[in-house]
Amino acid sequence: MNLAKELVAQQIFIRRELSERVGWFVGVRWIAIAIATAGALAARLWGFTLPLRPVLFTVAAMVGYNLLFTVVGRRLRQISPDRQRPFQISAHAQIVCDLGALAALIYFTGGFYSPFTLFVLFQIILAGILLEPAYAYIYAGACTAAIGLMGALQAGGTITPYPGLFEHAIYHTDPALRESVSFFIILAAAYLVTAYLVTTIARGLRIKGRALLRFGKELDAANTKLTALYDLVKQMAFCADYQELMDSATQTTARIMGVKACSIKLLDEQRQTLRFASTYGLSQNYLARGDIEIAKSPINQRILQGAVYTIGHIEEKDYFQYPENVRQEGISSMICLPLKVEKRVLGVFCVYSQAQAGFRDADVDFFALVAELTALAMQNLRSELNKSWFLQKAAHQLRSPLNAVDSILKVLRKAYVGPLNEKQTEMLAQCERRIEALSLTIQDLLKLGIKRADSASVDLRPISLAPLLSQFSAVYQTQAKEKGVQLTFSLAPHLPAILGEEKLLDDLYTNLLSNAIKYTPAGKAVQVSLDREDGQRLRLQISDTGIGIPRDQLPRLFTEFFRAENAKAHTDQGTGLGLAIAKEAADRLRGTLQIDSREGQGTCVTCYFPIAS
Amino acid sequence: MDKAYDILIIDDDRDLVHSMRIVLETKPYTIRTAHNGKEGYHRIEEKIPDLIILDVMMATDTEGFDLAYRLRNQERYRDIPILMFTSFTQKMAETGADKFQHIMGEEWPVNKFMEKPIDPDVLLKTVEELLRGE
Repeated sequence: MNLAKELVAQQIFIRRELSERVGWFVGVRWIAIAIATAGALAARLWGFTLPLRPVLFTVAAMVGYNLLFTVVGRRLRQISPDRQRPFQISAHAQIVCDLGALAALIYFTGGFYSPFTLFVLFQIILAGILLEPAYAYIYAGACTAAIGLMGALQAGGTITPYPGLFEHAIYHTDPALRESVSFFIILAAAYLVTAYLVTTIARGLRIKGRALLRFGKELDAANTKLTALYDLVKQMAFCADYQELMDSATQTTARIMGVKACSIKLLDEQRQTLRFASTYGLSQNYLARGDIEIAKSPINQRILQGAVYTIGHIEEKDYFQYPENVRQEGISSMICLPLKVEKRVLGVFCVYSQAQAGFRDADVDFFALVAELTALAMQNLRSELNKSWFLQKAAHQLRSPLNAVDSILKVLRKAYVGPLNEKQTEMLAQCERRIEALSLTIQDLLKLGIKRADSASVDLRPISLAPLLSQFSAVYQTQAKEKGVQLTFSLAPHLPAILGEEKLLDDLYTNLLSNAIKYTPAGKAVQVSLDREDGQRLRLQISDTGIGIPRDQLPRLFTEFFRAENAKAHTDQGTGLGLAIAKEAADRLRGTLQIDSREGQGTCVTCYFPIAS
Repeated sequence: MDKAYDILIIDDDRDLVHSMRIVLETKPYTIRTAHNGKEGYHRIEEKIPDLIILDVMMATDTEGFDLAYRLRNQERYRDIPILMFTSFTQKMAETGADKFQHIMGEEWPVNKFMEKPIDPDVLLKTVEELLRGE
């Protein structure tokens, strides 16, 4: 994505390598010096006519300059490896010094015919490793020329090198010119071929090194992206609101992909315009252009048909409805793709970059994954909200005519349209009572629908449960007394606060308690108890000795509108929504609800609430 | 005898409007009716009523509120008392996640908010209070 940055990183990698190798070169030279010294002494002892003094002098010079390079190397280590030049100079200086020492050694061991001419190969190899490929050839060429010159001067008698190691081989048979020339050609070929081989191999190694570095970086980036993607999915799962979900998607995507901006455009119902539904990083000016008419925007038409659009150079393209705005915004490249679930297209998801050709194939693939996950999350949320919306709408549609009937009946019963006899008034009152019961059902339904729609926005805070229960119970004490049901409380003292919300606790507790009283016949008892279960939870139990619930009907208990057979027989009042509301409230309070019941013996409902830490 | 107050009922439920008219006409009130927000606004433009009885949900879910806000934002209509009826309970309108919450914010644009079904006795009492400026 950021090419310049990556190049810098690559170069730093290569330079660090160079600085390390220059250091290594100095180390290796100490070994060479030791071997040269030992070799010279051994040759002398073995009876060769080696000029010991000049050779040792050369070795001493090597010790001298190697000490110098050691000091220089220490200095170099302190400067940043991204400065390449000092290392290059150091490498050149070392090669030149070594070649000088080698020239002396060659001169003292037979000149043109010295076997040490082969050692020049080492310097060519080192140049190939340490420096740009061209230098291997330059050094190879220079050395070939120097050896040739030495041979010519030697043949002409201008210089007379020490006979050195191969006195007999060289002087006992005078070599013919063609032999000397062919010797020279072979030597020159060896130098050049070595330069070729070493630079080729070194180049390959460098390319591999770069690739390895790039792979490493890509792996790192992929890991970061995956972590971010996981966070995004987690975040979206907790969104209860469409806008919140989309904002979270655009903001996080822009951050993960390191781009200037991100947007989600949604299709309207007629599927004719695209409207910015959520944006991140785009200016008001850019957004002010308003909706995009699909008919006028070929690019969006194609995207909606399922094409992924990557535009590397915006100014080259002429398929924008508002090309000026795109330029002014500083957008140079973008990826746009459809937000879709299976075949249903919801809209268009785009990321915008300020860099020309700012996206690679891997970015496109990654963005496609983000878009897919976002569309899925949107679809999920939509179906959740739709369910609630439908429920609310249906409840309202049911309540409206019912309320009208109720209102009209009241007008009638209260004799606003003329006097009624006692029988007529009584029958109208019956109608009103039945309507009230039906209205209650619908109200519960409405409540449940709203709760579902509101499911993520509950604000839990520490609440002391016992006083709240006493407050909620007041109404039911009267009710129980009237019915002849004995209602007793056993609330443990000094209980810690739980994490709760008053209205939810009200829904939970009053539904359970009113059920207990409703399904307990006169003369029997209902008991409410609250205590601490363990370190983490409080336990609220509402037990009765009422009609109980048949075993086979227990699993369906929390389903909306479900009423057990014996409950219906017991009383015709009841909507079948009480337990569903209680369960919903318990879930939202992060509590758990348990029901134990035996038909004819009674029911015990237990709720567990987490203690506020 | 009271002055003949002019009351405008705006509700899309014609049957309900009819029965409200019957109840209110037991008092010396002149009743005018409208069945949507737009028609209601025309009636108000024709003659400023002494009281408006307004339904929340008509063609759109917030039509009643939209009209109430429109009136509150205009100098000449700002002071007309409004009695609003809805099928939602007030508790839900205050606490629920329904859309009114977003629209209303803190300010109620109406003088009195009541829920349906309408009790005729309560209706008469409330209307009288509002007309007396209570």
